[in-house]
Amino acid sequence: MKKFFAVVKREYIQRVRSRMFILITVLGPLMVSMFGVVPALILSIRTGGPVRIAVVDQTGKLYPVLYDSLTDHADMQGATAGQAHANVLNKSAGQRLEQIGDQQERRFELEEVRPQQRPLHEIKKELSARVLAKNLDGYLILPANLLQDGKPEYFGRNTGDVFTTKFLREALNRAVRQERLTEANIDARIVQELSEPVQLDALRVSADGGVRDSGEGFALVFGAGFIMYLTILLYGQMTLGAIIEEKETRIAEILFSSVKPFTLMMGKLVGISLVALTQLAIWGLAFVAFAVYGVGLLAARGMPVHLPNVPLVAFVYFGLFFLLGYFVYSTIYALIGSMVTTAQEGGQLSMPVVFLPFIGFYLFIPVSRSPDSSLAFWVSLVPFFSPMTMLTRIVTQTPPFWQIALSLLVGFGTVALFTWVAARIYRVGMLMAGKKATIPEVVRWVRQA
Amino acid sequence: MSNQQTTVLIDKVTKRFGEFTAVSSLSLEVRAGRIFGLLGPNGAGKTTTIRMIVNITAPDTGAITVFGRLITPELQDRIGYLPEERGLYKKMKVGDQLKFFAALKNVDAKEADERIDRWLGRLKLAEWKNKKSVSLSKGMQQKVQFITAILHEPELLILDEPFSGLDPVNVELLKEIIFEERAAGKTIILSTHQMELAEKICDDICLLNRSHKVLEGSIREVKRAYSRNAVALRMEGGEEALSDQSLVSKIERHSDGIEVLLAGKTDAQTLLQRLLAAGAKIERFEMIEPSLNTIFIEKVSEA
Repeated sequence: MKKFFAVVKREYIQRVRSRMFILITVLGPLMVSMFGVVPALILSIRTGGPVRIAVVDQTGKLYPVLYDSLTDHADMQGATAGQAHANVLNKSAGQRLEQIGDQQERRFELEEVRPQQRPLHEIKKELSARVLAKNLDGYLILPANLLQDGKPEYFGRNTGDVFTTKFLREALNRAVRQERLTEANIDARIVQELSEPVQLDALRVSADGGVRDSGEGFALVFGAGFIMYLTILLYGQMTLGAIIEEKETRIAEILFSSVKPFTLMMGKLVGISLVALTQLAIWGLAFVAFAVYGVGLLAARGMPVHLPNVPLVAFVYFGLFFLLGYFVYSTIYALIGSMVTTAQEGGQLSMPVVFLPFIGFYLFIPVSRSPDSSLAFWVSLVPFFSPMTMLTRIVTQTPPFWQIALSLLVGFGTVALFTWVAARIYRVGMLMAGKKATIPEVVRWVRQA
Repeated sequence: MSNQQTTVLIDKVTKRFGEFTAVSSLSLEVRAGRIFGLLGPNGAGKTTTIRMIVNITAPDTGAITVFGRLITPELQDRIGYLPEERGLYKKMKVGDQLKFFAALKNVDAKEADERIDRWLGRLKLAEWKNKKSVSLSKGMQQKVQFITAILHEPELLILDEPFSGLDPVNVELLKEIIFEERAAGKTIILSTHQMELAEKICDDICLLNRSHKVLEGSIREVKRAYSRNAVALRMEGGEEALSDQSLVSKIERHSDGIEVLLAGKTDAQTLLQRLLAAGAKIERFEMIEPSLNTIFIEKVSEA
């Protein structure tokens, strides 16, 4: 045991003290937030002035409505946002992107071109010339029968600008709809009030009545899966490197003359896992601190704030399955590390491993749809996928305890087996130094040793 | 400890790797308090034998007894091992590495600190304690590795090519330490190709060739057994007499003379007569004990 702790301590102290660790700890969250912030920043860059559009209104009455629709839109959006402000935090990335597009293209400069008996093709020719001369960005032709079934046309220099086209289309739609309503003598405001959508509340059936479940558990599984995936990628490579280092530097032989291979391998895995947990804990605490600060701000402004509605026992399972996921994959990396002789070889061989947790990550979709299916049962027993799929089952439709226990047992059993096998391969591989192992050879090593 | 005690007993040990037999039915006895030289050309099975003694790998058949017991992981703490292919953690400070290796041998942390300072001082590395091992020269790294083998004060010290890459000053220093260890009753197994060194250091030797033992005994015994048929010569002319295979089995030329090994039943007298008959002008003609190197080369090429 003393030797085991010596190995754990060395792995831990050496890595936590390293500059790389400190750098990643500090820069990691920065980089993640960059991923969130930079695209938004880039999208919100306003280039050039307002979009100048000429409107040829052959209906003779739509231009003022369209003008309002395009320029007053900001106010209208403010009004709807007020009603739906509770949902703002939950907007998906796609919605946010559209929002950004909206904000960006809010500035239009409209000019009305009156046909005044001139033939349309002449007006078009004149406007096209202005567009090409760049004192106009595009022009819109509204046919006289637009309010019935006419098709408006937009001619622009840059039709690849999807935001402008989309925005124009929407503004036109609103204008046409409003005009049609006015003609039918219906107040647009009343229509808007009457078409307010219904909010569907999803309640989970439990013994003590319905429990509101607004998908927090689900979001937690998703988040846990995401962090698991990142951790596996980051620290799996570290495990691989740690094992190859001892081969390349030829320390292994000295180690094996002092400590049992299994103790050594276990010590390394545990040591590196503690490094990973330390880093995650630092990030987690920083995140919680920010979150508490943020929630406090929201609460101070009178926003309704409630904690995720997830039972405490689920958090215990989160911890256990997170560890399971981590160890299953780091032992796979350890296996690879014990087979190869150089870091390059290890890198190549470990490439396909990246896909396994990826599959597990996506399996959560079918599993969440039918958590009691036999597919869900079996994949939640396979150690490569169980961390993600069993967690999904726990938050959607908690399976009987024996299934959870079995999944953990199979998982941690696999970890122990992989460690044992990796330790054997490691030792024999070291004795055969310099020779690249074939699979049958590796199998023989595991049996002999 | 008396010289009669046995530290390592290898009994009919065979080790195969697939088709290849690394060690074949080897029996050996390493006596306590002596320096035992495990000699042989590359690939003779020295390193495999050593690895079986330190319990890195197990024999296929036969038994190895260390300190009177079958080898177990617990016994590893009483053995110090300096492998031929050895390394250090590149980015770890010298002092920290030594502490780690000491902990792996169950040495108490406080005790380890004291010993580390003492040994670094002894090997003139004191100012390198807080440097990372990448900044050390190869010779210095080797001395650090030597400390890792000896830090836990093992009763059995196994050194695989300990002198390779060391300058003469450090070779002397290491020899001095090895002799001190022997004086303190420790047993040392030394594996090397450097015959001149083995000859000066070892009490007993065992010569391995192609997985078999070809020669064994104390240096005295071995040399005495070969002493009757070696002659040191310095002369002018008469060289053709030496090319007679029935007379001379081996010729070794040095800068100041020739060392010959007499063939089978020839005695020195016959050789001298033949040389004189061939018109040689003899300056030196002396019966000598052959060098270990000569015996080594002869034994190995004989097989």
